[in-house]
Amino acid sequence: MTPIIQAQALTRRYGDFLAVAGIDFEVAEGEFFGLLGPNGAGKTSTIKMISCVQDVTSGLLLVGGLDVRTNDREVKSLVGVVPQDDNLDQDLTVRQNLEVYARYFGIGRQAARERIDEGLALMQLEEKADESINALSGGMKRRLVIARALVNEPRLLILDEPTTGLDPQARHLVWRKLRLLRERGTTILLTTHYMDEAEQLCDRLIIMDNGKALSEGRPRDLIGEHAGREVLELHLPPEETARVVERLTPMLGESGRIEQVEDVAYAYGIDESHYRMVEEMASDPYRVIFRRANLEDVFLTLTGRGLVE
Amino acid sequence: MTATTTTPGATGKRPPAGGVVPWLGIAIPGRQFIAVWQRDRDVFFRLWKAEVLAPTIEPIVTLLGLGLGLGAYVELGGDRDYVEFLAPGMLMVFPMFGAMFEALFGSYFRMDQHGTYAAIQATPVRPEEIVLGDIAWAASRMALNTCLVLLMLLVLTPWLGFIDSPLVIFTIPVSLLCGLLISGVSIAFTSVARSISQLSYFFSIYVLPMFWLSGAFFPTDDLPKWADIAANLFPLFHAVALSRALTTGDLEWGLLWHVGFLFAGLLPSLWLGIWAMRRRIIRG
Repeated sequence: MTPIIQAQALTRRYGDFLAVAGIDFEVAEGEFFGLLGPNGAGKTSTIKMISCVQDVTSGLLLVGGLDVRTNDREVKSLVGVVPQDDNLDQDLTVRQNLEVYARYFGIGRQAARERIDEGLALMQLEEKADESINALSGGMKRRLVIARALVNEPRLLILDEPTTGLDPQARHLVWRKLRLLRERGTTILLTTHYMDEAEQLCDRLIIMDNGKALSEGRPRDLIGEHAGREVLELHLPPEETARVVERLTPMLGESGRIEQVEDVAYAYGIDESHYRMVEEMASDPYRVIFRRANLEDVFLTLTGRGLVE
Repeated sequence: MTATTTTPGATGKRPPAGGVVPWLGIAIPGRQFIAVWQRDRDVFFRLWKAEVLAPTIEPIVTLLGLGLGLGAYVELGGDRDYVEFLAPGMLMVFPMFGAMFEALFGSYFRMDQHGTYAAIQATPVRPEEIVLGDIAWAASRMALNTCLVLLMLLVLTPWLGFIDSPLVIFTIPVSLLCGLLISGVSIAFTSVARSISQLSYFFSIYVLPMFWLSGAFFPTDDLPKWADIAANLFPLFHAVALSRALTTGDLEWGLLWHVGFLFAGLLPSLWLGIWAMRRRIIRG
């Protein structure tokens, strides 16, 4: 089966700025795929090329086996996009927003009505159908934008930072809806700068920075490969950190190392015995944290700096 | 696999993306523009009560104010009153503002503030069709406003004798045509505006001269040559001339110049608007 997305040496340039600097990846049908990286990493530019909103500067990009440059209309009808900003039509009701959108895809009135009812039910917005957009909360707006992106029954759903700016409860509801969509077989491409989001949702992901792909794989595999099982975080005063680092460094094995980001030091490739030792050295044991490694650690290892900017 | 896969990143002769015709710089818009027109229409009908009062009342107040007030001091020769001279122009001049505001402020908001264009871009509708839909809607606003003014003139005709011919009904297609030209030019200006306040430049350099040189308030024949030539370059001038003939029923061959100008200006104006706004849209 041909992959739903094939990107080879894909680049996007804005004047002198190279936003996407030659990335290669493939997304299989039915997969939940993530692009993880800080703001400005090239995530949004990548998905704008996939959804034919922006031109490919060079390289190859096929969506559903079609070249995005020459088959823009066909590609766009295969894809549903949830943009970063809620660009809903403020002057229309919830239902009208979906009706107007269905018309852009040339969907007939009857078919549109059925899909709209289904979409509103799926996103738990039935009661809001005749309300104006301003009457919706942030989380409801997000769910409406997702319902809107589903109106053309896309083979590929693209979400650009779908939970940025939402409160924790609204976030969890959006996640639940996305998992539901995955179970129903929708292929999903998600960008995020939240590692917990990527870790929870994505089957596979690319970590991006400065327009390049740093690493690709399953979240657990990436963590195991780059950050090991556990991490020690030191939130200590500088001179104390220096003392601990001096003591700890010779004890670390080949895979072990210490990264300093701002005022926090992270030690990788350690085990519980190291933690016990550092805890005893520290003036305040609560400022020494021993935890499971996550994707942020992977990013930190790959770039030497923090992910959320 | 197609041949393209073997040369990723190849520069040089690649076909232009998005169906663009190279010598035009744009793709030929398809019928998808209608969905955009329908969107604008739906928004209008949700807010219509606030949208129809001004375009109905303003031209009539101006007509009566200038016509009866200033008109008392104006000698036209013959037995025609100034208020009768003004009436045909009201069918075009004030409705023109409807098209212009829609193509300037309405489109600016959709382009820059509300993300309406961005939302449509993610659908099979191409940028060319977004712009054409907006232009077509702005022109429809002008034609609709002409209908409203026409109704008012018909109501007042028993007293003030505004309308002498059933041909007046053809002012509506004239208005639509003129609206397409004006909206095309206006939206091109919107595409280069960096802020809402810059839209007022267009008002000063284009709309206001067009308004006064339209021939609605005074004949332009007796003006200096350059002013008469300038008047002839504005679509509104030709629309007013046609409106005058259709309202009075005095048809003559010279009117073909006005019809010809409007038809000849149609495709260049649409192209200008679509080409310019497309550039702004795809730059993102």
